[in-house]
Parts: sequence; structure tokens; C-alpha cells
Amino acid sequence: MDILKLDDEELKRRLAFFELTDEDFRRLTALKPFAERWTNEITEGLYELIMGQPESRAFFPDQATLARVKKLQNSYFLGLFSGSYDLNYVRDRLRVGTAHERIGMPPKLYLGAYRRYLALIHARLQDHFKGNDAEASKALATIRKIIFFDMAFAIDTYIAAYLETMTRHQAAIRELSTPVIKVHDRILLLPIVGTVDTQRAHQIMETVLVQIVEQQAKVMILDIAGVPVVDTKVADHILKTTAAVQLLGAQTILTGISASVARTVVQLGVEITRMHTRSKLSEGIELALSIVGKKITSKKESERGDA
Amino acid sequence: MPSGPIPILKLGSTLLATIHIDLHDTVVDSFQNDVLEEIERTGSDGLIIDISALETVDIYVARMLANTGKMAKLMGAETVIVGMRPAVAATLVRMGYLMEGINTALSLEEGLEFHTRRSKMSDGMGDA
Repeated sequence: MDILKLDDEELKRRLAFFELTDEDFRRLTALKPFAERWTNEITEGLYELIMGQPESRAFFPDQATLARVKKLQNSYFLGLFSGSYDLNYVRDRLRVGTAHERIGMPPKLYLGAYRRYLALIHARLQDHFKGNDAEASKALATIRKIIFFDMAFAIDTYIAAYLETMTRHQAAIRELSTPVIKVHDRILLLPIVGTVDTQRAHQIMETVLVQIVEQQAKVMILDIAGVPVVDTKVADHILKTTAAVQLLGAQTILTGISASVARTVVQLGVEITRMHTRSKLSEGIELALSIVGKKITSKKESERGDA
Repeated sequence: MPSGPIPILKLGSTLLATIHIDLHDTVVDSFQNDVLEEIERTGSDGLIIDISALETVDIYVARMLANTGKMAKLMGAETVIVGMRPAVAATLVRMGYLMEGINTALSLEEGLEFHTRRSKMSDGMGDA
């Protein structure tokens, strides 16, 4: 949960924003007997709602699971009135959020159940403070604060978990998007497929440069047949990569240039005459071979293997 | 003989300078002096500057290297910069400094090859 950057300072800021004061803490501690008295009933009431709907019921397939989560629910409820609201408390709350996220419980069910939770508490508070409405509503206000405080953590956990998944996916996509292929001794090929944005352009440049040095390649062929639109930005990225490759002491060949790309590039006034360009990849490979001093020739009749 | 901290070696008609320390203003000056004096002293027609040990190269150093190359050229020595790291190349290009007109090679070996090829070529055309 590093993403939440939780420390004592952050905890203080959060407590202040939810207006949780020492008075609230005292009130919560004083309500401990109340909590112990009603926790089972409140948990039952909560699961009545959850088990009443097919969507939420699906998360609790058997009696054993149900018994276990009910027990957890009780200890969660008592935790609200434990009197200590430090980083340990928060860590415990984050675990709750993570658990919900892991089983795939959507936030709507989580928040919906919380609504019932508050209603159940409210009803019993009025009983508890028989007649003393002022005290009852003060107690409710305090409980609402701590519950919202908790909920914020749960929602943050959800978001953090989603972000983590997204980052992982992005990394996977990035890796897939720059596959460098060794065509021949000292000749590398990078087929670029899909849209090239700034981030990807950086990624491409980095991969190209690192691979050239690692494999001591003399030529890098960039094939842009799979790039749908080549605008000034994309052209600029390609030119920069070419310049960087030249600084290393290698060369680039740009292939896969279709008629429409050639037209737009010239119309946009992009100066790409500095680099080698070919329309077809095969021509690019031939040029690359000639740069490293080789060429493709036909076999003589006598050397042919197919008999 | 070189007086600065960067050694300059003679390999046939080529000079080799391996930069192994960060280039501060004072080092830069003495390096440039050393290189040019060595070219004058040895009559070399080629210079290789190996920067493979440099993890960062700022615009100032890059310009100094390019200028050293230009100065060497005025004295009849062609310069090749070898061993630039990927991150260095990426940074220089992003900052818009392309080191135009400077020869580069992937490795020291390539740099030597460049000079060998060049001297062969000029030998062939020398009589013309």
C-alpha cells in the first residue's frame, strides 16, 4: 500500500479532515459496551441484506465461508470502538479493503452494505440512549465519522489495486510493442505496429539504442508498415531516433513507407532525406546487408538443394 | 607529452584518447591542448575519442568534444567518437544536440576500422 503514502502525518491530515477529535475517540470508547451487546445482531442484519440479493450472495458460496466472514465482521465492528486509531488501525482497515478487492466485490455492494450497517446501528443507538435524542445523534455523528474514515481507506485500496493492475498491463504492452529481431549478423529489425505516442516513442528509442549497443549492430531497420498514421510528431520521433543511432555509430533504415505516408511526409515538410528509406522491408534488408558488406545472390543450378 | 589526466596513446598514425573521468572545465582545457599538441607532435591523421566510460555527457561536454573534432580536422586529423552509451545518445538528441559533422562508431574496434578504411582510400587517391 505504498501508493497511499501512509505515515503519521498523512494519518493526522485524514483524521483532521474527517473532523475526528479526541472527543469522538472518547465517545467511541464509551460505546464499547453498546457495541459488544449488539455486534452479533448487527452482523446478522447486514448479512440478511447481502444474502438477500443474488449478486452479493454469490460471494459467499458455503456456510463455512459465511461463518468466517461473520466472525471477521464482528471483530471489525468492535474495532471501531477500540479506542486506538493509529497506523495499526489503518493497516487493519486496508486489509479489509484489499480482501474485498481480491474477491472481486464491486464498490457498489461494499458501499450499499455500509448503508445498511449505519441504519442498523442507528436503530439500536436510539434504543440505547432511550429518550436522550441529543446524545443519540451525537453518538451517531461520531460513528458516521469513523465509518466514513474507514470507507475512504477501502475506496483508496480499490483504486490503488486497479492502478497496480493497469501499470502491470501497461508494462506488458510496452514490452510487446518493441520486439527487436536479429535479421542477420549486425542487422536488427524493429517492426512498429500501431499508434506511436510520445511515451511509446521514448520506449522505442531506448530499446533501439540499448539493443544496438548490446548486439553491436551496425544497422537498425525500422519498419513502419504497421503504423496507421504518420504525422509530424511520429516523423519527428523517428528522426530523433535516427540521430541518436548515428551518435552511437550505427545507421537506421526506414522501411514500409506506403504511397500515402510518403505523400503526407513531404506535404508536412518533414526533412527525412537524411536517413535511408525504402518502401519494402525486403529492399531495406538488402540495403542493410550491403552496408555490412554482404549481399544476397542466387544459388548456381548445381548448388540447389531441392532435388 | 600530455600533461592532463587523460592519457593519449599513439597507434600507428592514429591517436587514441580514452576519457575515463568526468570532464570538468579545467580538465577539458588541458585535454583539448594535449590532443592538439599530440597531433602536431606526431603528425597523426586520425583521432579516436573513447567515451564508453562516461555515464552522462552534458551539452557543454558534447560541444567540447565536437569542437575538438573540428580543431583536429583543421590540423588534418579525422575524429571518431566511439562507445557512446544509449542513455547519453538519447539525452543529447532530446536536448536537440545532434553533433552534426562528427563521425561516430560503436566500439573502439570500429573506430580503428574507420581510420584504416579511410587511410586506404586516401592512399588510393593520393596521386590524383
